[in-house]
Amino acid sequence: MPQRRRLLALAVVVAVSVVAGIAQDLQLPLKSNSIRFLVMGDTGTGDSEQYETAAQILKWRQKFPFTFALMLGDNLYGSERPQDFVKKFERPYRALLDDKVEFNAALGNHDDQNQIYYKPFNLDGKRYRTFKKGAARFFVLDSNYLDPEQLKWLEKELEGAGSDWKIAYFHHPMYTSATRGPVIELRAALEPLFVKYNVDVVFSGHEHLYERIYPQKGIYYFTEGGSAKLRAGDITKTSLTAAGFDTDRSFMLVEIAGDELFFQTISRKGATIDNGILARRKVRTDLSPARNPATPVHQ
Amino acid sequence: MYVADFRADAAAQPANPMAATLADFKKRVDGFLTVHKAAVDKVGALDLTKSPKEIADRETALGEALRAARKDARQGDILTLQIGKVFRGIIRKEFARRSRLALKNREEAQDELPAFTPTVNQIYPTTYPLATFPPALLKELPELPKPIEYRLVRQNLILRDSEANLIVDVLPNAAPPTNALGE
Repeated sequence: MPQRRRLLALAVVVAVSVVAGIAQDLQLPLKSNSIRFLVMGDTGTGDSEQYETAAQILKWRQKFPFTFALMLGDNLYGSERPQDFVKKFERPYRALLDDKVEFNAALGNHDDQNQIYYKPFNLDGKRYRTFKKGAARFFVLDSNYLDPEQLKWLEKELEGAGSDWKIAYFHHPMYTSATRGPVIELRAALEPLFVKYNVDVVFSGHEHLYERIYPQKGIYYFTEGGSAKLRAGDITKTSLTAAGFDTDRSFMLVEIAGDELFFQTISRKGATIDNGILARRKVRTDLSPARNPATPVHQ
Repeated sequence: MYVADFRADAAAQPANPMAATLADFKKRVDGFLTVHKAAVDKVGALDLTKSPKEIADRETALGEALRAARKDARQGDILTLQIGKVFRGIIRKEFARRSRLALKNREEAQDELPAFTPTVNQIYPTTYPLATFPPALLKELPELPKPIEYRLVRQNLILRDSEANLIVDVLPNAAPPTNALGE
């Protein structure tokens, strides 16, 4: 690992340790009638880290009873035999499935497209789809194959989404400070639509780490591709990086209440590594970064 | 016979050579779609299911049915020499317009693929990822009906049946070599 990266990784560890003192507490307000969900990405390894992260998710669900989950792609790595679905999805998340938590998957570059037929992923036989939860509208995209038909569909759906929160999610990040960098062509295709139709938040995976990006053209971007896989020390802090975590696995808990979105990102060990409040784009008066009650990593 | 029909169809060509080539491509793709539909009729459609076994079995059965129906299929049956020439031109022109960062993205997407040479009627290796297809290039190439899609495997453009995970045809040297990107 280059020295710069080693130092950066160390900085992340130190920052997390600082936050860890207050880390075991739920930072989300649990407002009545709020929308509560889990965000995780790049989960389908079937290895012990996935299981440990899943166990941590379950623990936090006791404090934050979310009702659905977003999966940001790479839901199953490697072979996709029936036993792989069990090992890499059904067994680690058994308790959540039994408790009727609704998983809403996006497809990653490691996923067989026939996953669209797998009921528990709720893709309803489609590569891309939209669904609504309370006052939030979610747009699940297939960033592996962004054909003109999908873009046309997206524009039509965004146009008709009215005043709901607009949250898009898909596998490849449009903005990231990870070594491989953003998928620039995806940005060229999607950003004009996101800006035009007031998309508020975008979640992606693919990079095996957690990162929060300062708002770009008014839109908040998160990468959460480290819920089982990890690229240790892969974040090279740039002017984009509002917060990052690349030393262990993580997942996000999100709560939407009125015009505010609260988030808390938690590591496999149960430490809070980032949290904050975002204002809805439509009602934001400035484009300032998210307010952070806790010290964000990398700041 | 599927292959023979294509060869017969290719004989009747309109006057505009580019339009003729694209019309010929469409006809060949439609020909494959007919074979695909017949294979689906044979193995049955797939509905939403909680059973991964049902998904895997159906994918395998569809692949086998298609391979049997196309046992004489050869490279170039759909992506013919003439179509290949047009597509190579479109792809290289589009690559030349891309920024260095976009080219780096493409190179990295290809780097995730283990080295393999795609062949007609091959099941796309199930443990390999699929490289993201550049959205800008999708705008330039003729649209394909579901479930057929374009994919780049290194320099090769492939047509893939995404339901059967089957490589339908291959156009070699369609894209510039990755080590030439960004130069």
